[in-house]
Amino acid sequence: MKRFKQILAATLIVSTTHVAFVQTAQATMIGTEQVAQGAASRSGQDARNHLNDMFSRADVQARLENLGVNAADARDRVAALTDEDAARLSEQIDKAPAGGFIEVIIFIFLVLLLTDILGFTKVFPFTRSIR
Amino acid sequence: MVFLPQRRQLMFAGGAATVLALAGCAAQTALIRDTPPAGLPRRVELSATPYYPQDDYQCGPAALAMALGPAGFAVRPETLAGQVFLPGRHGSLQIEMLSGARRTGALAVEVPGTLEALMRETAAGHPVVVLLNLGLAWAPTWHYAVVIGYDLDEAAFLLRSGPMERQVLPFRTFELTWVRAGAWAFVALPAGQLAASADEAATTRALVAFEKAAPPGKAAPAYRAALARWPDSLTLAMGLGNSLYAAGDRPGAEAAFREAARHHASAAAWNNLAVILLEAGRIDAARAAARRAIELGGPTIDAARDTLKRIDAAR
Repeated sequence: MKRFKQILAATLIVSTTHVAFVQTAQATMIGTEQVAQGAASRSGQDARNHLNDMFSRADVQARLENLGVNAADARDRVAALTDEDAARLSEQIDKAPAGGFIEVIIFIFLVLLLTDILGFTKVFPFTRSIR
Repeated sequence: MVFLPQRRQLMFAGGAATVLALAGCAAQTALIRDTPPAGLPRRVELSATPYYPQDDYQCGPAALAMALGPAGFAVRPETLAGQVFLPGRHGSLQIEMLSGARRTGALAVEVPGTLEALMRETAAGHPVVVLLNLGLAWAPTWHYAVVIGYDLDEAAFLLRSGPMERQVLPFRTFELTWVRAGAWAFVALPAGQLAASADEAATTRALVAFEKAAPPGKAAPAYRAALARWPDSLTLAMGLGNSLYAAGDRPGAEAAFREAARHHASAAAWNNLAVILLEAGRIDAARAAARRAIELGGPTIDAARDTLKRIDAAR
């Protein structure tokens, strides 16, 4: 069900952003990002890249919402990404490091305390490493 | 407990990883202790960097707000949370930390993963956001902190980190926890400034992303500063033209594309010049520019043909 919702959301986003796509295709300024990518693309490949890009953006937006970001924020966050970042995020959003000082599970508490004291880690503010 | 054997295996693997982790050494620390990088002060502390203690898991927004302060952007972590915090992951992702800084109007540039780069940036007045793995490789504790300086005599970095307004972290412990997180770091700069340690590729990548995310009008001065340092870059030259065009400065954009077209014989530059000339009603000049873009061929040839078609339709 969750997966179905994701796909539905992705489809809707792609179909609504399609309007913008048609408009940009008429304005023929060539963007900096395209120049930077070295543009190894004939027109067919270009269109395919564009489609991939739209799908990865829609996917990231749907998953941001699943992870608790509200819809308006998710849309703005996706819009701020480069094509490359959108593609990377679509692949890694569930497993990339998320810096946040995650709670330490009890069973590794002692290990980390010891390694803290040895100066290999620094989980606890109160430890001073021996050196 | 059907899962028990698997779990044991996992714990065994974890134990093995610990032994390996403990065997790791801090190579850069030894080097810096023996021969400190040339041309750096013994001690740097950017004490004007603001401090925001983090709420639950919110070290991302807090670290970003602290780094943005000295760049001239007074933002509170709560404001940034909607841009970079991911509730379902109890944290913030690296890509979004960068785009969050860019959306605020700061040029976020990734810096090389060396201790020396961190020192050079702080010595240049730029606090550095770093991702640390404070735990172990197999039990990671990801955390963002801000490096605000170092002390070569104490052999330690100075940080704003989580609940600590001023943490003195020995080079060795810093290196181990930083390298364990991929030695990833970035600076957030006002548009028009460049990172002290980033090369042309990293700066260009940062600028292209900045142009996309930043408020209009911010990207052009940033491109100009980078072009002054790397005048032979086509991407930077195109970026300057495109960002001036987006900010509504048509004469400025025209000049930038003319310069890019001349310097690089770039079809993309000729095409964009043709579009601007067409919009200004200078049809003959526009046609000549579009023909030049088509002659040069390359991957943008379809766009150039399309431009010419529109020019012919406009008479």
